[in-house]
Amino acid sequence: MSVPRPVAPIVLGHNAFFGVDHLSAQRGGEREAYFSDPSRVLEIVEAAHAAGAGGMMMSTHERAVPICDLIARSGRLRDGLRIYPLLPYAQKYVTRSNEVGMINVVLEMLSGTSLMGKLNLLWQGSKAAFTKDVNAVISAVMQVELKPFRQLDTHAVFLHDTLTDLALALGLRDVFEFYLTEIPRVADAEAAFTTKNLPHFLAAFSEWGFPRPLVMTHFNRAGYHMNPDRVQCEQAVAAHPVSVLAMGSLASGYLQPDEAYAYLGRIPNIDGVVVGVSRRSHIDETFAAIKKHMSRA
Amino acid sequence: MTAPPLRAAVVGMGKLGLLHAGLFNVLPGTRLVALADTSDQMLRAVQSKAADIDTFNDYRELLRQVRPDLVAIATPTSSHCVIAAECVAAGAHVFIEKPLCLRPADAEPLLGALRDTPRVTMVGYMTRFLETFRKGKELIESGVLGRLQLLRSTMYVAQLFRAGKGWRYDPAVSGGGVLMTQNSHLIDMLLWMFGRVDLVSAHTSHLYSQDVEDHAHVFFQFASGLRGFLDASWSARHYRTPTMAIHVQGEAGTVDVTDDRVALFLTEDRQGMAAGWHEWRKPDLYRGVPFDVGGSHYTLQAVQFLDAIRGGAAVESDVHSALDVQRVISAAYDSAARRGAPVVPGATS
Repeated sequence: MSVPRPVAPIVLGHNAFFGVDHLSAQRGGEREAYFSDPSRVLEIVEAAHAAGAGGMMMSTHERAVPICDLIARSGRLRDGLRIYPLLPYAQKYVTRSNEVGMINVVLEMLSGTSLMGKLNLLWQGSKAAFTKDVNAVISAVMQVELKPFRQLDTHAVFLHDTLTDLALALGLRDVFEFYLTEIPRVADAEAAFTTKNLPHFLAAFSEWGFPRPLVMTHFNRAGYHMNPDRVQCEQAVAAHPVSVLAMGSLASGYLQPDEAYAYLGRIPNIDGVVVGVSRRSHIDETFAAIKKHMSRA
Repeated sequence: MTAPPLRAAVVGMGKLGLLHAGLFNVLPGTRLVALADTSDQMLRAVQSKAADIDTFNDYRELLRQVRPDLVAIATPTSSHCVIAAECVAAGAHVFIEKPLCLRPADAEPLLGALRDTPRVTMVGYMTRFLETFRKGKELIESGVLGRLQLLRSTMYVAQLFRAGKGWRYDPAVSGGGVLMTQNSHLIDMLLWMFGRVDLVSAHTSHLYSQDVEDHAHVFFQFASGLRGFLDASWSARHYRTPTMAIHVQGEAGTVDVTDDRVALFLTEDRQGMAAGWHEWRKPDLYRGVPFDVGGSHYTLQAVQFLDAIRGGAAVESDVHSALDVQRVISAAYDSAARRGAPVVPGATS
């Protein structure tokens, strides 16, 4: 196995562009309206890249498609910005599966693609084919979701924490093994994970004998979204081989950048941070604090 | 000596069934042993990934063969109480997804089974475990606002902008539309915070659905004398996820609760708090949980259920509390059918 590339020390988050705001749903909605024009997203991405962001998270939200196209057309970004897709965009499945059920959501996604034919997933009788080879269906879904990113420098693909943590809770080693094998094959990228249960995740990974993972997880001085608690997360990250991409470092705007990154700079194995910026003025303050406190940035 | 782990089963493998399956496998002192679903596809998908979990098409067969200590029921609403009654008769504690049933009378077999075989019950009103709403209840119950004067509450989500498909839009299976399926959460929250409701008056409208309501407006009169309303829709633009908000005014100020924050305004110094605005945001109130699948509130809910089974504090949202929610919902539907005529909850079923 080849040695994985290190994660970009500063990775631009995508939540602000897609209307996700964990501190204020109203602010999220306002931003979503502003960023419905992809050129406004590109403007922020270009400014962040110029200021030192080496990567960008991107959920497989439908709005990612025009953004990916714009990035691909900008030579500087296409070559210089690593893309970190996060799959799947869970809210899309939750809302739709309320209506048609989970299996039908998957079938809908694949309908009209060439993969449908390859898998013999024609609409008639397709539910039977679904379970004949669960892995082939999941692989097909991953390929459809990742298609917009194919033209870009996709460094690693993160599995959404809903799925990581469900598989972890059920102790499904096979699911992790499948993902670790399949992502390099279908996306030529490293298989990476998002979790809200870092100590549990790292213990399972070491028990299962998997290589050093790249993990995106909440890490912040406030202990926000850190389970079972901040202290156990600090101990786990020091005790296991892992490369952490810290998210939620400002605890959804609760912490000031300077205090937030001074804390993260003291934690071992944190190789990068995901930061959400929605205005140019944010970029300077936040990136300066990261560069001051985090040695790799 | 530690007790052997509780053996858990899940009936109904939709997304919440999967979530409960995960939690009841990973939380300390419990382990998932069996699943039931009428869909072969879902069972085979699970079995191909988790060979040591028994799977059944028929939950009765599961109860007979596995004899679980607890069962989580996450099937369509119309089957909740039938399945729960059989689980209790088989000796299992039951966790039931919300809403409890279509009509209050549907719970009778379950209440009968519980009289014969007392067991712990819990109904999945997990919004009670969101930190901000817990804090809001604490403030309201502290009496800091003085006598309560006004209440308005809303729950909106941008989900439905064309006719929906699936069991949620079939009133024979779901019992109703947005009022029953989503706003049972808000009604549960209002009863939890403000106590018994004496009278409701409701109006509902169909925006995209033929058979169920997409919008509801309900006026409440509480036993405490407080009056207020809820307004709810699943066809509301700009709400990416279901969003609940409660505003209450008392003689001495106001409390606003949303998923994101709690804001308290006081007209004067009260209970050691200064006049003016006070705010608590989610990170202020957050506490880590043993394991998070899909939100810490689901974990806190499951932990309360497991504690009660082990003889700890009683479950807050049990079958009786959930039945009160059903009585208010039924009264609201009765009222809406009679163009908003006032209806006393529990007077009809």
